Amino acid sequence: MAGFLTNLLDATISAGTIFIIGALGEIIAERAGILNLGMEGMMLVGALTGYMTTVVTGNPWIGLGVAIVGGMLMSLIHAFLTITLKSDQVISGVMLTLLGTGLTTYFGARWTGRSIDGMKDISIPVLEQIPILGSAFFTNPATDYMAFLLVPSVWYLLNRTNLGLELISVGEDPETADTMGVSVFRLRYLAVLIGGALAGLAGAHLSLAFTGIWTGGLTAGRGWIVVALVIFARWSPIYAVAGAYLFGMLEALQIRIQGLELVFDVLPNVVNEAIAFFASPQIMATYPYFITVIVLAITVARSREGASAVPSALLQSYSREMD
Amino acid sequence: MNIDVDFTARQEVPRWLAYGSSVFTILAALLVGAVALVTLNVNPLDAYQVMFVQQLTGLTGISNVLEKSTPLILAGLAVYIPLRAGLWNIGATGQIYIGAIIGTWIGINVTAPSFVLLILMFLGAALGGMVWGFIPGYLRAKWGVNEIITSLLISYAAIEINGYMVRGPMQGGAGNFPVSAVLPSGAQLPEIPIIESHIGILIALLFAVIVYVVVQKTNVGYEITFTGSNPDAARQAGMNSFYIYVMVFVAAGALAGMAGLIEIAGVQDRLRPDFSPGYGFTAIVVALLGRGNAFKVVLAALFFGLLLVGGTSLEVAYTVPSALVEVIQALVILFLITAEFLKSYKVDIDFTMGESKPNPTASAEEGV
Repeated sequence: MAGFLTNLLDATISAGTIFIIGALGEIIAERAGILNLGMEGMMLVGALTGYMTTVVTGNPWIGLGVAIVGGMLMSLIHAFLTITLKSDQVISGVMLTLLGTGLTTYFGARWTGRSIDGMKDISIPVLEQIPILGSAFFTNPATDYMAFLLVPSVWYLLNRTNLGLELISVGEDPETADTMGVSVFRLRYLAVLIGGALAGLAGAHLSLAFTGIWTGGLTAGRGWIVVALVIFARWSPIYAVAGAYLFGMLEALQIRIQGLELVFDVLPNVVNEAIAFFASPQIMATYPYFITVIVLAITVARSREGASAVPSALLQSYSREMD
Repeated sequence: MNIDVDFTARQEVPRWLAYGSSVFTILAALLVGAVALVTLNVNPLDAYQVMFVQQLTGLTGISNVLEKSTPLILAGLAVYIPLRAGLWNIGATGQIYIGAIIGTWIGINVTAPSFVLLILMFLGAALGGMVWGFIPGYLRAKWGVNEIITSLLISYAAIEINGYMVRGPMQGGAGNFPVSAVLPSGAQLPEIPIIESHIGILIALLFAVIVYVVVQKTNVGYEITFTGSNPDAARQAGMNSFYIYVMVFVAAGALAGMAGLIEIAGVQDRLRPDFSPGYGFTAIVVALLGRGNAFKVVLAALFFGLLLVGGTSLEVAYTVPSALVEVIQALVILFLITAEFLKSYKVDIDFTMGESKPNPTASAEEGV
């Protein structure tokens, strides 16, 4: 059982990293008022460009850097369309996912099956000796540690710095922010680009540390889970960690639960069948989606009485009144 | 040197822009797609000849295009109708899967004369899609929960449920392959003589006509369009937006559900995991291009049906990944929204040497 737990926790951390890094990027963009449904596409571009670079240079760190640039270039398209051209954020985001999926499947076809030396596990002395937790938290590829460090950094950025407060003001009330001398356009561009950079990093973690291989559609819907997670976390970096590990553990459990004997003689047949149903991998894969819809519905229904966590100007493009 | 970009809102849209933008976007997307072909050492002219011309010169090609276009017409309408009411149905995919699951289940498990059985299957598929459409429609109408997010998320849940069905309760056929049993011949769509395509295209066209008439010629259609263009005025005029929001999503679900069933009962003959080649997302592009009316949706669906079939031929002929089709789809949206912008704003670009005068609307290049 200890072996199972260690293994599960280890896989949870690794799967959670993708969600954490992606969600932090999406939180920054959405707090500034720009929904980016292109997460899946940006992550795929990050995963492929990072992978290709690592195959060519043999150095995953260069791969990581290129993936970040790749994610940013993708997000720049979204920023230009939604901020400068004031296009519909939903359409532009869906387009970005289609574009990222198409481009990476098209250009990535010749890169499947290459082998790379991905990110290596780095052990932290002494702490790695802790039973169960040691291997999960203190023997990890560098990207896992980056996720640990990014959470307080993004929280600090959003809540304790001028830049963060300006970003939030732009997402809550762009008109007022503009009158106060905050450049709405510049800050929104910045937020979307940071979001793209983190999406690229999340994709690179996936191909360089998590799977170590490239196949078309490598993200397998994780980008959409990130979008869900941001809502689930109510746009807070701290809640996002909890959500990321919850969704990460669901993903890790899906594969491992099949190895467990979940039939209990003491329980009636119906209950055992129900357990088998709810514990089947495909049904477990639906949990993040349903949980998020329920949380979103409750949040919105409640917010009628109180303050809502949804950034007020989310989905609204901003243009100055002409004088 | 400074480049000064000035956007002014247009008073009226020039004619050439209003009509030309759909054609322009498709041509521009194909042009950029040609660049992608050149990078893989394929002559774009030859490739497009295989993709488009070859398909339309033979009966097999035309029949394939019609079969691919059929789900796109219905799913395109499923995005188009809520769009008329100002809502986004990003979840046609989910409605397609649930419709296919229920329709196929009826086809395998119910014994009835073929005609009755097919009608039962279509009713079941429509009902399944309606349930999946009702969820985002109701949440939006009742509490104002963003329908884009909810319809999208439960779509992915539907794909997983389909995966569960073909591995669990509906698994059939030899071995442990994740597929359902093959539909009995009475539960498969009959073929239209001569063109050798199943009757799904006729069903899709029938619904396109119905949607056209309802939206363009009836009171309900007027209320949907009015609510979409001005929700506040519609409320003041006594229109019930709750009813309209739920209705458009339920109707959309029914259409998309039937699209899913037609794909199984007409083409694939059994349920498989991930059987839809991105119909739900393509439907968004289809509805965007054809948002003028239901017949334009049909035209756009036919074009993307051709593109999908052409993409497969291209893969066979030149071993070029058919994902090029996805790239072209994305580019069509990209250029379409750019064209939308050009339609509503006039852009003046001044090249001036030295300092340019400060310009409040010139934030574009400042941001980049």
